[in-house]
Amino acid sequence: MKTLYGKLFGQYWSPYLAMGLAGLLSALYFGITGTVWAVTGEFTRLGGHLLQLFGVDISDWAYFNLIHMNGTTLTRTDGWIVWGMFIGALTTVLLARNFKITVPKQKRRLLQGFVGGIVAGFGARLALGCNLAAFFTGVPQFSLHAWIFMAATAVGTYAGVKIVNTRWWKGKPVLTRGDVRPAAGRRRTGSAQPWIGAAIGSAYLALIVYFFAAGRPMLGTAAAFGAAFGILIERGQICFTSAFRDLWLSGRSTMTKAILVGMAVSAAATLAILLIWGMEPITKVAAPSTLVGGLLFGVGIVLAGGCETGMMYRLMEGQIVFLPVFAGNIVGATALAYAWDHLGVFDALVKSGSPVNLVKALGPAGGLVVTLAALAAAFAVARFWSKNYRFGVGFKKGEATHAH
Amino acid sequence: MPIDRKIDYTLDIRGESCPYPVIYTLETLQTMKKGQLLQVITDCPSSFRNVPEEVVKHGYTLVQPPVKDGREYRFYIAV
Repeated sequence: MKTLYGKLFGQYWSPYLAMGLAGLLSALYFGITGTVWAVTGEFTRLGGHLLQLFGVDISDWAYFNLIHMNGTTLTRTDGWIVWGMFIGALTTVLLARNFKITVPKQKRRLLQGFVGGIVAGFGARLALGCNLAAFFTGVPQFSLHAWIFMAATAVGTYAGVKIVNTRWWKGKPVLTRGDVRPAAGRRRTGSAQPWIGAAIGSAYLALIVYFFAAGRPMLGTAAAFGAAFGILIERGQICFTSAFRDLWLSGRSTMTKAILVGMAVSAAATLAILLIWGMEPITKVAAPSTLVGGLLFGVGIVLAGGCETGMMYRLMEGQIVFLPVFAGNIVGATALAYAWDHLGVFDALVKSGSPVNLVKALGPAGGLVVTLAALAAAFAVARFWSKNYRFGVGFKKGEATHAH
Repeated sequence: MPIDRKIDYTLDIRGESCPYPVIYTLETLQTMKKGQLLQVITDCPSSFRNVPEEVVKHGYTLVQPPVKDGREYRFYIAV
């Protein structure tokens, strides 16, 4: 028992395992509910509810009608995916004694997070999804828009890295000569954390059982899958932002490769579900908005230090910097909802597009082969990149130079 | 637990989130002389993995296993 606990919570899980399981579960979730694992649509609805709270009439906002404002966040499956992710991540953070309130020493990070959050939230919704629906769960639906979004995000994160690497953005760390001893006196061991985690986890399990008993199986399903996704991304420390950003920074590609593997697993599983259960894939419009949205999203997530998914478990770890990111995400998504019809975004960037699905266009076998081949090619590039790209020097050969 | 080598510099980046732990660590190492030792103190969970891995990939050495203290890690890196 002790060793199993240590295995599960004493160390982080392999990101490949976490993403593979998430890919499988997201395909299954689609099979059961007919919707995909996504979060930013619900963030936009939260923004809509906030507007309603302040007496704003949003009934004629086209974007809110597009994403449906039915019920409240507690009666929607999309809502329970979000809350389930928060609660699942919090539970495992506590079980692993990893909760700690941390505030960046450089206060500029809070403003940077808010700004990045707004840009990322706006971009994600412009493209009709974030790193999930327009990426991790979009590619396995064989929706072409996800590929455009992914490529645009890669370019956007490159620009983001250029910005965060400037002196005025990055700031200077505290570097002291010699050793710094740990502060003497009372140390928090966090020994109560696993008990609190177990209590929260049990209460949440009871809630899931209640949903099923009360005849709300879809809410129960969403609540359960949400928690599973939250646990997987927290235990695997999955970061979609780093999957792109770290390539440009130090050539790190662990997360890139893990996410590609997860999408390959998910694509195969999704195709099986489409064929066996005779379902239609979810295809979103591929338009100039997908490209622009991906670019903005890429810049925003690097500025914020995390995307709409990563910030969820980081917040549960106690990283305060992700509170302004979360707020920024909702502000940005709501701003896009306003701009959609009021500022002519739809007419300018979306209207000209059309939904393209690879399975529809190429047949099931063709769609799967093209998808897997493209994922494999991306994997090979990522692998080459991490072997040859170095911090500060890029692809140049030779040892890193030292100042002295 | 205590390290038996002389620590030349300490980089205390507690509170910082990604990507700054990796940037700060690699930047600091670039300014140090061969043979010097850097101690990095961090409490961002992602950095528990990406700091040691990137340090090794960039040709530096972890002179001893990281020391865990609550949700804080101390890395000892030789140039």
